[in-house]
Amino acid sequence: MSEMSCLVVEDSPMMRQLLVFALARIKKLKVTEAEDGVDGLRKLATGRFDLVITDINMPIMDGLKLVKRIRSDETHKDVPIIIITTEGSQEDRQRAMALGATAYITKPIQAPQVIARVKELLNLE
Amino acid sequence: MSEETKDADGEPTRASDVPLEIVREREAFVRNVLKKGMEYTEELIHENRELRAELDAMQTQVAELRSQLASDDAIRDFVKTIEKLEAERRALVHRHTVLEETERAHANRQQEIEQEINDLANLYIANFQLHASFSLRRVVRHLCDMVGQLIGAEAFVIYLVQGNEVVPIASEHVPPESLSTFALGAGPVGEACLTGIRRVRETELSTERADDPVAVIPLMADGRPVGAAEIVRMLEQKQSWASVDHELFELLAAQAGTALIAAALYDPDLGPVASLAGLPARLERKN
Repeated sequence: MSEMSCLVVEDSPMMRQLLVFALARIKKLKVTEAEDGVDGLRKLATGRFDLVITDINMPIMDGLKLVKRIRSDETHKDVPIIIITTEGSQEDRQRAMALGATAYITKPIQAPQVIARVKELLNLE
Repeated sequence: MSEETKDADGEPTRASDVPLEIVREREAFVRNVLKKGMEYTEELIHENRELRAELDAMQTQVAELRSQLASDDAIRDFVKTIEKLEAERRALVHRHTVLEETERAHANRQQEIEQEINDLANLYIANFQLHASFSLRRVVRHLCDMVGQLIGAEAFVIYLVQGNEVVPIASEHVPPESLSTFALGAGPVGEACLTGIRRVRETELSTERADDPVAVIPLMADGRPVGAAEIVRMLEQKQSWASVDHELFELLAAQAGTALIAAALYDPDLGPVASLAGLPARLERKN
């Protein structure tokens, strides 16, 4: 199996490090970090990604806008997107899914939950 | 050959000399004897056939018995093999059960270890980030991330002790009108900043109560409280504390104060090397 790549877009360095640590346990998954939506778009423009994990509340460009932009981008319009946020209500979840998010994980995150979701979306064992 | 007989005087006589009646009687006698002999012979032949048939039947029976005996031995061997295999199967089933139990125990242990690794990762990252910067704003931000994103507080306030007052320096989802400076010792936060005693509510974590915060964690430095983190309410999805939350409270209490002091003492205009100027001399003086 060839190496897969994942983009983590999160403004909190603490959460970003936590996500990277969790994802490092998935074999053959290369993780790229971005500090906000704009940085995320820049990183997306540099190559092809198999998965995007993004926070919602971020400065400059939030996660929902990023989801919209990814869905309108020809290269990454079909890439699975996991939304990670503190918002736990059904309404927020539906809003994110309506915009094109594939899955939704609420904070505080549990590493096994993130790993399981990523493996599921990337069809990994 | 002519039949020779003798008369009363012992003189040989010819057959033709014997009276016809006697000759007939003799012939009848001979015929009778011969007939009986034939009958006996036939009887003997018949009897012999019967005996042969009986012998054949017996031989067949013997052969059958022999083969049955051999078959019985084979069945006995077969039964023995079945018993042996049954015993082996029982042993294997037992071993399988033991292995399954061991596997379950290992799976549980692995899950526990995974959880411990995750908890340690949370603690390591929280501590690492808390001390990763000398920028006061960044330290406060990491403090907020720790309370909000790692512990899962939805509304919270970070306070600092300033003389005899407790002053809010950062908050999330708390209306500005609710943020106020108050006297050291006043209310749950003032009390925690005075005594250094932590308070943590165990139930209804997402319910906000004016005089009963979900948690108040005093931030300690050199054994004294220098501030506090007040959790007003937890995120809706966070219904109970995880074991790592208590560890994060410990970390917050022990490290946040130190990180704030280090950031407050650091002068970014001078830079890190200048911040350490005169340190060897100070160490000498202490010795």
